[in-house]
Amino acid sequence: MGSPVLSLNNVQLTLQGNAGPVRILKGISLDVEAGESIGLTGPSGSGKSSLLMLMGGLESVTGGTITALGQDLTNMNEDALARFRRNNMGIVFQSFHLIPTMTALENVATPLELAGDRDAFKKAKAELEAVGLKDRADHYPAQLSGGEQQRVALARAAAPRPKILLADEPTGNLDTSTGETIVDLLFNLRDRHGATLILVTHAPELAARCDRTLELRDGALA
Amino acid sequence: MSLIYAATIAKRELRGGLAGFRIFLLCLLLGVAAIAGIGTIRAAIDQGLNGEAATLLGGDSEIHFTHRKASEEERHWIESNSDKISEVLTFRSMLQARPETDPTPGLSQVKSVDANYPLYGEVILAPAMPIQAALATQNGTPGMVLHPALIDRLGLEIGDTVRMGTQDFQLRAALVSEPDTTLSDLGLGPRTIVHTEALNSSGLLGPGTLFDAKYRMLLPATADIDALQSDALAQFENSGLRWRDRRNGAPGISMAVERLSSFLVLVGLAGMAVGGVGVSAAVRAYLARKVNTIATLKSLGATRGTIFATYLMQIGVLAVLGILLGLLLGGGIPTLAIPLLADQLPIPIEAGFFPAPLLEAAIYGLLTALIFSIWPLARAVDISPAGLFREISGSANRLPRWPYFVLVLLLTVILVGLAVRFSGVPMLTLWSAGGIIAALIILAIAARLTKALSRRLARTRLMQGRPALRLALGAIGGPSSEATSVVLSLGLGLTVLAAIGQIDSNMRATITQQLPERAPAFFVMDIQQSQIDPFTAAMLAEDAVEKVESTPMLRGIITEINGVNAKEAVGDHWVVNGDRGITYSASIPANSTVSEGEWWPENYTGPPIMSFSEEEAAEIGLKIGDEITVNILGRDLTATIANLRALEFSDMSLNFVMVWSPNALSGAPHTFLSTVYASREAEGNLLRIMAQDFPNITAIPVRDVIQKVSSTLESLSSAIRWGAAATLLTGFVVLIGAAAAGADARVFESAVLKTLGATRRRILLSFALRALILGAAAGLVALAAGSLAAWAVMTYVMDSGFVLYWQAAITIIAGGALANLAASLAFAWRPLAIKPAQILRNQV
Repeated sequence: MGSPVLSLNNVQLTLQGNAGPVRILKGISLDVEAGESIGLTGPSGSGKSSLLMLMGGLESVTGGTITALGQDLTNMNEDALARFRRNNMGIVFQSFHLIPTMTALENVATPLELAGDRDAFKKAKAELEAVGLKDRADHYPAQLSGGEQQRVALARAAAPRPKILLADEPTGNLDTSTGETIVDLLFNLRDRHGATLILVTHAPELAARCDRTLELRDGALA
Repeated sequence: MSLIYAATIAKRELRGGLAGFRIFLLCLLLGVAAIAGIGTIRAAIDQGLNGEAATLLGGDSEIHFTHRKASEEERHWIESNSDKISEVLTFRSMLQARPETDPTPGLSQVKSVDANYPLYGEVILAPAMPIQAALATQNGTPGMVLHPALIDRLGLEIGDTVRMGTQDFQLRAALVSEPDTTLSDLGLGPRTIVHTEALNSSGLLGPGTLFDAKYRMLLPATADIDALQSDALAQFENSGLRWRDRRNGAPGISMAVERLSSFLVLVGLAGMAVGGVGVSAAVRAYLARKVNTIATLKSLGATRGTIFATYLMQIGVLAVLGILLGLLLGGGIPTLAIPLLADQLPIPIEAGFFPAPLLEAAIYGLLTALIFSIWPLARAVDISPAGLFREISGSANRLPRWPYFVLVLLLTVILVGLAVRFSGVPMLTLWSAGGIIAALIILAIAARLTKALSRRLARTRLMQGRPALRLALGAIGGPSSEATSVVLSLGLGLTVLAAIGQIDSNMRATITQQLPERAPAFFVMDIQQSQIDPFTAAMLAEDAVEKVESTPMLRGIITEINGVNAKEAVGDHWVVNGDRGITYSASIPANSTVSEGEWWPENYTGPPIMSFSEEEAAEIGLKIGDEITVNILGRDLTATIANLRALEFSDMSLNFVMVWSPNALSGAPHTFLSTVYASREAEGNLLRIMAQDFPNITAIPVRDVIQKVSSTLESLSSAIRWGAAATLLTGFVVLIGAAAAGADARVFESAVLKTLGATRRRILLSFALRALILGAAAGLVALAAGSLAAWAVMTYVMDSGFVLYWQAAITIIAGGALANLAASLAFAWRPLAIKPAQILRNQV
């Protein structure tokens, strides 16, 4: 077995709430191997999404270290983290988080463009086709259904061929049938590109599709 | 529709506070405050002028004659109806400080007075002394007081001798202030005051000399001014008499203030229109936040009328608050400042509470708030509940239903109608209102085109691989774009600035560059008939003189047209207002061509006939065969129009609206007016020759006229620029509002972009590009619209050519881009500083 793609060492997160500091994560240590898929489950408020944000460098730890692909994320400034994500990570959110002023195609092309890819739009088109939205390329997010928006978000996350794919309850805002389609697409993409997948979910059956399931309770791994 | 229910909901909704309405309030406040402030200052000046009317006029009433004194009969009437009178003569003349050693003269506006001057007020002199003492003859030399500017120009000391005409005077004091100065006195040259008796041997005021005589009257306490005016006009109006009295003591100032303030109110209305854009944007943003509430209310059974009333009431309450704050500011600041500044102002001004201008400003404010609120409100209430729940922006392009459209149109007509009524300059107001509405429509279309073009450009291959630029263009062309607000708010102010900039540059170039190349060096007035040949010979004897053109010069008032009182016949046209220059000529004057009819034979001896300017004849409806009666030096002379002429004024050559056949006028006492064409270097020498050999004549250097016109133009364009700047200030507030309204969207966008790998520099670049492109687009549209307006003014009003001045043009585009960049970057810090997780977590 090689060195882990993602390594968390005693990761802690304390946020400032209205009533004082709140300890969200209380010392998480975890290694994720290349190509592995991990289902992260737990009740609401257990810290699943926060842990995913830390893994993506979208939040800074208040203790411990996170190493991704051999680089210490905790020592990087914001722009260095952005560059790291651009080259190595794709993230899918529960609320899709598409940019409302861009069409579906532009949303998908943006991370490729940011990475300086000359074929950004060609690849974005192919990626949209892969999620079945070839005909909706010129639509703005407001003109798409929730399931369609999430498919665009999946295409956007997968387009730069990231080594790590982070998904935060990608079916949370969708009905069961649409959710299943999205999950199929997600695993399909992961299988096609061989990415490491960290999937935050409430659904045990969805977590069961992963190689390994971890449960978070009250900010710690159970 | 239940208004009570609507009012209840409105009250509940307003409990949420005014957080989203700061820009709404600020826009209304600024517009109302500007108009209320201008109106309050105008009312304060009116009050001040009324209080000082008799002093400014120089008497309770004044009778005015052009180029002649009152006849015995007229003087008898004046004296028999007054307790006391004062005769004041005004004319231009040249003064020499040291005729023997340095005869270079200085041009002056001379006022010669009698022993009763002034009837009201006091002339302030330095050193302090009574005016009559300063003018008295001592040791055979009469006294004189001069404006300090003339003292400086001639290098004089108090006590020095000054020559005017052929008479020497002793400078006794500097003139600090005169009680009876009006704007019409502020012509070319600073003031000189002498005693009329001292002019008897000056050689000035000969027959045909251009001077005005004013008879100020101190009336008995029981005098009926109306009856006196009617009696004077009935007896003497056709002799060229003009009447003024203390009821409107300084019509010049009063009219100038009226015109300027009317103009500024129009500029204020343009500012209000820009504020309206901000109001509309604020209402739209507010309703966007209320989408769920509106949808829920509709789902619960509220009709469109109830919802419309609910939100209109809220907007109404806020509008009243904004208007009250605006009135407080606009009415309050002048009221507090006037007592502190009154002593330093050149015109009387009296602070007070003036409800009329406040009411006018309040009405404008309320109508503007309604006009600009109804549109977005109507759109919001027209959408189905499902549509509202889904996305309000989907309705953004729909027009409101026709009743709302009619309502907006009706309110606009009322607003324009009131502005026409209040302004006192109906045509200018209508043109301005039309201009503002047209500009808003053009800018709205331009905003749509900018959005469409940006959307299209963002998708071109050219933009691929340029994410910052594509992001910027995508945001401008995408939904919820601030393009309309930015282009409208910035564009209107910039359009005015662009038009003024281009007109100013073109006029300046004409006046300071093109004109002097063709214009004469001097206008020379008051050349007596016996002097014209020696004067011409003396000038032509100088090598530097290229040519001398002379023409007989009389002045007269058109009193009748075809036997009907002239003003009744043609209304308030400038040709029949006051006296006009008249000449006679056997041949067609230079710089004019006969466009209709025939010129008379050289030795014509028939009944008096005249040639009339084609343009003015068309304006007042005159044609060949019409009879014009003109009062010249108290005598009525009638001539028939024999032909019409097209005139060329642009090179400042001599031209007259009326040219008579010589047999009609050559016998009347008159002087000659000459233009002398000479090189610039010779001007000083020519002036000295004229002053020495022809001391009674007055030479006006054309360079001085150009300087005066140029500086007047500068003051005017500066005043307009300040007005436009005020409009831009409101526009900037709207820009801030647009940037503030879009701040949350940018924070979200920034968070997502960071997640996708964008650095802060790249995000900032995208925001900056977005602002620069949109601002430059507003500037470009404004430049096009402003240049079009400037071209129309130069071509059709000024009869001149038009050149686009690129420096002024680029300033407008760059100004627009930078203004929007400043407003946008003011809100860029938060999106750049925020951590993505903070935003994305809350958006779940």
